[in-house]
Amino acid sequence: MANYYDIHDILMQDENVSTVFLHKANGAGFLDPSSEDNNVARGSVVDLPLWLAQDLVQRQIVHVKLPSCFNARVRKEVQADPACIDLRSKCPFYYEMGCKLVELNVDPTLGPYLLDTLRGRYKDLLCKALTATLTGNPKFVPLLTEEETRLFEAGRDSMKAFKKWRLQGPRLERAAILGRKRTRDPTPIWS
Amino acid sequence: MFGRTAAQLVREVNNDDQHIRRFNYDLFDKVIAEIQEHFQQVTTIMEKGQEENEDGQITSVDENYNGAVIHHQSILRNKRCLLAYMYHRANRLQRLRWQLGAVLPEDVKGLLHPSEKEFVKSYSEALSSYMTKLDIDLTVDITPPKDPYIQVRVLDNIGEVLLGDQSTSLVRNSIHFVKRSEAETLISQGLLEEFTG
Repeated sequence: MANYYDIHDILMQDENVSTVFLHKANGAGFLDPSSEDNNVARGSVVDLPLWLAQDLVQRQIVHVKLPSCFNARVRKEVQADPACIDLRSKCPFYYEMGCKLVELNVDPTLGPYLLDTLRGRYKDLLCKALTATLTGNPKFVPLLTEEETRLFEAGRDSMKAFKKWRLQGPRLERAAILGRKRTRDPTPIWS
Repeated sequence: MFGRTAAQLVREVNNDDQHIRRFNYDLFDKVIAEIQEHFQQVTTIMEKGQEENEDGQITSVDENYNGAVIHHQSILRNKRCLLAYMYHRANRLQRLRWQLGAVLPEDVKGLLHPSEKEFVKSYSEALSSYMTKLDIDLTVDITPPKDPYIQVRVLDNIGEVLLGDQSTSLVRNSIHFVKRSEAETLISQGLLEEFTG
């Protein structure tokens, strides 16, 4: 269970999954725009955010369908060359979302598949993180999922810190909230 | 609906890690209104269910129960988002107390909710009273020192400042050799910078 205040966890659970209602639900018409009487009928297919779907599956009110970003076609693409697939466009929280779906027993092969995917992408990611130039975002960053971006930044920042330590740069810095820009004195020094 | 407004609020905190934005009264009130609406829906569903069942109980196979669960979960979700928003802002304010000292800059103060100002005040008081009891200033030497003295360059005309036992005139671009513990707060306030020639 993630931390209650974890921002990433909260945002990740905002992703939609497609679900089928196994029972009728009264008074929840806002979920299904096609319903006429403010009820969700049995068997209707509704896109629900993960936080809602998760709870409803445990109560056996809905059944979750496997999202398209984990279907067989995508899996084949990923298996062909994990490192150069744009996973972010498929789902920005690919792994964490996958892990949640594993908990819900959506597909037994999903867990091993996720592990293989990360394994395939990790080596490349690490190489790039440790050799990245210190400024600017390289062009492969938009291909990474949120989790991978965090890994990448962690790697890059530790390299940065290491280089700074080697060069004995200044260790005391102004608080980041004050901004990088120096407030310029309007009168020149020589006046 | 779907807690999207609340998620937007959380996304706002996520976007910039260091800075504090103006407290978003607008979205915050919207989320609270949404919670109230869900609450109303739960009450209506419950009342309707009790009328339909003669024994007045709602069981877990009931259609009304399913609807009520959905609204209840939406309330919990919105609550979580609101709390996370407040929590992360409070965390940042705590960090500022360590970096900038007891007095917040005016422009930061303008961004806060009244309750957050109250929080900063109480937190600062609690920390100060703790440090007085211990008789140590805990906010200095956050990074371990190598030398008790450092060279600093002045970034702004500050004027006469009492450093150690003597008063020093800090003129812009002058370089001084001062005690590290005294320079530390001034550096994090952006008035000095560590000089590594």
